[in-house]
Amino acid sequence: METSNRYNRQIILPEIGKNGQQKLAESKVLIIGAGGLGSAILPYLASAGVGEIGIADHDVIEISNLQRQVIYKTSAIGKSKAKEAKTMISELNPLVKVKSISEKLSGKNALSLFEKYDIIVDATDTISIKYLINDACLITNKPMVYGSIFRFQGQVSVFNYQSGPTYRCLYPNENSNALNCEDAGVIGVSVGIIGMLQANEVLKMILGIGEVLSGKILVYNILNNEQQKYDFDKSDFQSISRETFEEKYNKTEIEEVNFESVLDEINKDAVLFLDVRNIDESPKISLQNQIQIPLMHLEKQIEKLDKNQPIYIFCQSGIRSKIAVELLQKYQFKNAKSIAGGALAMKQLLQEKKNSHEFTN
Amino acid sequence: MIEVKYFGAVAEKTKCEFEKLSFSEELSLQKLLEDLNEKYEFESLTFSVAINQKIVSKTSDYTLQTSDIVALLPPFAGG
Repeated sequence: METSNRYNRQIILPEIGKNGQQKLAESKVLIIGAGGLGSAILPYLASAGVGEIGIADHDVIEISNLQRQVIYKTSAIGKSKAKEAKTMISELNPLVKVKSISEKLSGKNALSLFEKYDIIVDATDTISIKYLINDACLITNKPMVYGSIFRFQGQVSVFNYQSGPTYRCLYPNENSNALNCEDAGVIGVSVGIIGMLQANEVLKMILGIGEVLSGKILVYNILNNEQQKYDFDKSDFQSISRETFEEKYNKTEIEEVNFESVLDEINKDAVLFLDVRNIDESPKISLQNQIQIPLMHLEKQIEKLDKNQPIYIFCQSGIRSKIAVELLQKYQFKNAKSIAGGALAMKQLLQEKKNSHEFTN
Repeated sequence: MIEVKYFGAVAEKTKCEFEKLSFSEELSLQKLLEDLNEKYEFESLTFSVAINQKIVSKTSDYTLQTSDIVALLPPFAGG
């Protein structure tokens, strides 16, 4: 039988056996990031027989990736990483069900995506995404296998394993900046080693063998082969509710436009320019379809406005107008945008336009 | 005498991966961190602190003991 032949060398390990192989076949692992770490993790999980693998990456392959992202061929430069990785895995082990996700991971798709998998692997290179993965793992109750590199050093840990400590328990300060591989430099073997350690944690969790790196961070230095484990505790302050998650990651974007890009609309009846400054503020702007409702009265006079009409909102410098857009969005206005730089920027542009007009005439 | 280990971007600032420090009077962890910050200007660098392989709060009032090993562990971002 193909399956037992394929996996024979690991099935004969007493810690795995047929039972363990079955567990692998039934497991679903999502790998976020198909870069250096992902390139090390993916083939090992696939060839070991993990039943379902999701690969999320929105990047395309660049030539500078190839020295460490060893699953990609030179001929694949310019192609989607997620799709190329999927092709590679399907050839490596057709028994694995693979899904490629080329969409960027965000607060909007993380929860529904994570729900479909048992284990989430963080193979990303951005701190803010690591917090997003951590928080989404907390809400969906999934373990997060963390791996990260700084030059010749790497870190590995498993967060939220059986409600254990999380990334936030280790690093509560979200506003930290750390260099990624592009900026700091990296060699292929460092990401290879750390990725392999991550793959190892995934397999141990699925098989229920060994000790999972939960509540511990492993720090590895490939230059002197030193490795240390540091213990850390769960902090009660670092939990997150679904409401907080939504609030934090799914804030509606306030759309800003440059006045220059809407200049040709200033005489159109279809659009409305809304000045939310107080009556006594200057410079005065007077466009054809313009009304003034100071921000403090906007909510009371909201019925004066048409929900479907494109509305360009401005204030003095572009701050209050954003608040106004937020307010209108709450009332289901779909086409409200804030003019960047406000009346000051508008006045300047109108003046420039007038001058050049006079000049050309 | 205590040993302080530095990792990642912190070690870039200190230009060494570890150093031994001696202290005559009682030294708290907070004071040690203040001194190191003054010496190396960590500024906006974030890091967690471990004493003898255990991450502790930076604001804990722990008094350092001879032969303690302190480690400064910043988050890494590469992948």
